[in-house]
Amino acid sequence: GLVQSCGHIIPESPVLALGSNFTALCILNESCLDFGNIYASQIIWKIKNKVVPKEQYREINRTVSSVTFNDTSSLATPLTCNILADGQIEQNIYGITVTVGLPPETPKNLSCIVHQISKLTYPMTCTWNPGRHTFLDTQFRLKYRWPRENFPDCIPKDVNNSCTIPDVQFFVNLEIWVEAANALGKAESDHLVLDPIDIVKPLSPHNVTVSSGILPTVLKLSWENRISSAVMKLKFNIRYRIDGDTNWMEVPSEDTASPRTSFSVQGLQPFTEYVFSIRCMKEDGVGYWSDWSEEKTGITTED
Amino acid sequence: LGASQSIQQTYDLTRYLEHQLRTLAGTYLNYLGPPFNEPDFNPPRLARAERVPSATVDLDLWRGLTDNARLTANYRAYSRLLCYLRVLDGQVGTAELRHRLAHFCASLQGLVLSIGGVMSSLGYPLPAGPAGPPAGPPEAPPAPNDFLKKMDDFWLLKELQTWLWRSAKDFNRLKKKVPPAVVTLRLEARGF
Repeated sequence: GLVQSCGHIIPESPVLALGSNFTALCILNESCLDFGNIYASQIIWKIKNKVVPKEQYREINRTVSSVTFNDTSSLATPLTCNILADGQIEQNIYGITVTVGLPPETPKNLSCIVHQISKLTYPMTCTWNPGRHTFLDTQFRLKYRWPRENFPDCIPKDVNNSCTIPDVQFFVNLEIWVEAANALGKAESDHLVLDPIDIVKPLSPHNVTVSSGILPTVLKLSWENRISSAVMKLKFNIRYRIDGDTNWMEVPSEDTASPRTSFSVQGLQPFTEYVFSIRCMKEDGVGYWSDWSEEKTGITTED
Repeated sequence: LGASQSIQQTYDLTRYLEHQLRTLAGTYLNYLGPPFNEPDFNPPRLARAERVPSATVDLDLWRGLTDNARLTANYRAYSRLLCYLRVLDGQVGTAELRHRLAHFCASLQGLVLSIGGVMSSLGYPLPAGPAGPPAGPPEAPPAPNDFLKKMDDFWLLKELQTWLWRSAKDFNRLKKKVPPAVVTLRLEARGF
């Protein structure tokens, strides 16, 4: 501007907590005092070209003026320090950007699920409640470790409430938690300790076939499981309905509560077309049900 | 984790590793090519192969060991086997095989930690030396030629399969010796 840089403001571009109070100082250079015939008493503070009420100013000494805001909610960017020089021409001395926001809240409701996506691939997705909006650039990191082994953090992409670890290990307890950090602070979720084998959602059974037998009231289902028994033993739900009907009937779960690749459904009506679908989960009931398999139809023989 | 739960988890992990290795070894030996992938290939064990912890033991002697001694032997063996496996892991040409080897390495590292967890839960001291497996394989002269390098890999996988097969039995036996915590409490309550 007209006036050689004659001062500066401290703090320089602060990050402030919403609702807190804030004081800035404008410090004039001694060199300018003599040359420009300017003093701290002539300083005018502005927020975005709007003059700050003089009651908030205080002349600290010949070269320093302070301005105080009891509640940063009224602050905006830029905050400038200006001087009404001789001849009543107002000149800008210095300006800072002010960022107002909130420290991160404790991330809550951390939960994780392992989605089986192929025979050998088990990514684990964890989700959490990130808490209130902070108005600041806030980094979330999903952290996980074994008792004597740390793994690289999982850094969410484009979201702040979920992250997927591409490949988890089973049968070793994993400690998992979320860390949130911004310029105003850091927060850490509760830690989960779990064995990923206990939060698996397996792929649904596939290659389902339905075959009729001798008895007109029985149809035999066969299928392939897509998770190895070395990883987990499965139990099943089988549902069926008469083709064209909307009501599903279900085989009693206790009848399919153990590993298998086939089941004969009994008590059906002769010479009737039925639609079948199957789902599976870990035998001990710990984890998640798979999606229902594709539907397959079969017809019972005539009586 | 209580001792019983820790042993069960380690047993499940050993079975899982056996399962992974069964398909992984086949794929890897095909990658090495003949004669290594031929079913009846049964080479003599060369002096070089001695560096890999041999799984061949006198079963009576092995069974006669204390639980602590047997767990320590398992812990040390897998710590060293893991080092050799990591060397394998870095050189393999195909991405799919690299991914599966990396997954298997991580599982095996989990086994070393799990065995350490079982030992701690039973009140046994962990074997001396840095926590968990050493960073690199014990000093060993590189194989003078490609065939002997492949022979090293062959023996590593073979020994691993035998170790895992026996460890599954070890943990299965140990599982039966260490009752679940609930039962233990009840026994103590009755002054046993």
